[in-house]
Amino acid sequence: MSPARSLDLKAASPPLIICVGSGGVGKTTLAAAMGLVSAAAGHDTLVMTFDPSLRLKDALGVGDAEQDREIVVPVKTAGALHASLLDARRTFDRLVEQHAPDAASRRRILENPYYHHLAGQLGGILEYMAVERLYEVSRADRCYTRIILDTPPARQAIDFLEAPRRIVDFLDSGALKIALRRWFDPRGHLVSAPGLAFLGRGVERFLDRIVGLDLLRDMSEFFQAFEPLFAGFRARALEVEALLAAASTRFVLVAGPGEARNPDTLFFARKIQEAGWHLGPIVVNRLHPRFAPESASGPGAEQRGRQLFTWLGERHARGLDALGALLPADQALVAMPLEPDEPTDLASLSAMGAKLQERLDDA
Amino acid sequence: MDQRFDPNLLCRELLVITGKGGVGKSAVAAALAQSLAARGRRTLVLEIDPRENLHQLLAVAPSGGSMVAAGKRLFVQNLKPKGVVDWVVEDRVPIGMVARRIEQSVVYQRFTEGAPGLREIAIIGHCLRAVRGGIRGAPTLDTVVLDAPATGHGLYLLTAARLFADAIGAGPMAKLAREAADFVAGEQAGIVVVTLAEELPIDESLELRTALAERFGRLPELLVTNGVYPPLPAASRVEEDDALRALWRRRRQVNEQEMARLDAVWEGPRVSLPLVAVDPGPGLTEVLRQHLDAQLEALITARAPAQETP
Repeated sequence: MSPARSLDLKAASPPLIICVGSGGVGKTTLAAAMGLVSAAAGHDTLVMTFDPSLRLKDALGVGDAEQDREIVVPVKTAGALHASLLDARRTFDRLVEQHAPDAASRRRILENPYYHHLAGQLGGILEYMAVERLYEVSRADRCYTRIILDTPPARQAIDFLEAPRRIVDFLDSGALKIALRRWFDPRGHLVSAPGLAFLGRGVERFLDRIVGLDLLRDMSEFFQAFEPLFAGFRARALEVEALLAAASTRFVLVAGPGEARNPDTLFFARKIQEAGWHLGPIVVNRLHPRFAPESASGPGAEQRGRQLFTWLGERHARGLDALGALLPADQALVAMPLEPDEPTDLASLSAMGAKLQERLDDA
Repeated sequence: MDQRFDPNLLCRELLVITGKGGVGKSAVAAALAQSLAARGRRTLVLEIDPRENLHQLLAVAPSGGSMVAAGKRLFVQNLKPKGVVDWVVEDRVPIGMVARRIEQSVVYQRFTEGAPGLREIAIIGHCLRAVRGGIRGAPTLDTVVLDAPATGHGLYLLTAARLFADAIGAGPMAKLAREAADFVAGEQAGIVVVTLAEELPIDESLELRTALAERFGRLPELLVTNGVYPPLPAASRVEEDDALRALWRRRRQVNEQEMARLDAVWEGPRVSLPLVAVDPGPGLTEVLRQHLDAQLEALITARAPAQETP
């Protein structure tokens, strides 16, 4: 087993751990559990999370009031444990406030109808803001020896990780130049449209018929208002990209049990490697335990229920074996069992983290 | 707001199936679509996720983006994100060659990829055209069952058209957005939320309910709790609480607690689908359809006024 494919939370490295995986597989809980192991081993650790359950928020002591700030988790560990909750809109607003060159630019962004109605709801905004936040935290005065990042609950969590590249690509592409063109003269008429020149003099009429000039005007205005911020976006995105790709950064892929989930898991693993990132262990979470076949007997409803549990255990074990067979031999693959109870306090989170580390050591 | 089950839900033109990732939305969408088709509705089940799942649940080959038959009165389509907006152009520019040149132009491509809300409007617009006619070469349909993205994005799918229409005053795109917004908010559309009876999915379902009420002025028409563990029978004399029973007891307890938490807030109709020992596929879809049918019938019967029963 190559050590790079596994993970030791007690060791000083890696400084950045990124948890990825499909929605609903228990990434956030595992991230918190890993944070506790890391802090217990003496590392000052920050767990950055997006969408914890109410009970996990309670356990960590992060309430909505503390959103976007790092708070100290009240736990007696050798290293300090901090937690933070990302709020995309607040990060966005702060970004505008910090980076807009003057009050007029700031107002221009905030008052643009397009931004006002839509920008906060954009599919990609959460991802961009998470990148900004990771940048802020990694550059902050307070130096954590370890950051554990739980990625957004998007089904395609990988979107978030590709956000820096998309920002850079977008800013370097012709699209921005197109968006930043002075499309409209002061009277609101279209000036010219490169790429649509084949339509001749009818361009304005065509665009008005298909899209509507009002919309184009607002969008054009939106991009122009943001122009002063783009250079900063680009520089920060490049830094975050370097951080993600650093040899010392480890990705932990959390997966759901059962053969049906394996294509998703392999998809994530492939994406991570294609991006040049460093995949650590794959954790198949919440596996139904296996029961002896003779467990599946009993009267009526009892038997049906027992058969269901026996079947689930077999199915999950089969899925794990199938996944193992599809992965390289040096890939650490560990299974975490479905617990009767989800961890809801720091003690049970610690126990879960310890169990994970034990299995990683054995892997 | 009347929170009882509306039997007309099964006769609407659009049913949007939404819920947290990993709760079995696609399986429920497939089962519901089969149920509607069996009730005589010509039904299309429409999938947005690029990783096609529905074809496997309905035992047809991957459609590659086109609408294919998946049983009597039942069709399935995986709507490709790229090109989903193209029909808007083809609609407005009847000359095929010109439309293609527009679609190939850089400005158009950047616009359709980057403009927020446009894709969502085009998806709802596609559903609208599917039931009102207007998709060339497509069968006439009564209902579209839309397997929508997970909660956050699902909510955005539902609200994008309205936001867009409000932000953009005039023009063809605004008109299209208004049509889509009216359709999705209107009486011909219904929202079905799928959830597991576990903490996080229930949290999200309740948040979705609040968001729908606040931003949309409506509530989901139906809630489906999926993958519920069977009730634990009382231990017989020989059955001590072994590890299996202990796990079963606890999982069932979590389900019951979470359903109770849900029912305390959710006054609307709810159906509950059991966790069954069947692998995802046509077999599972069939089992879920049977459970769904039985419970929908029960809801309809409970709803019927007393004087109508003979």
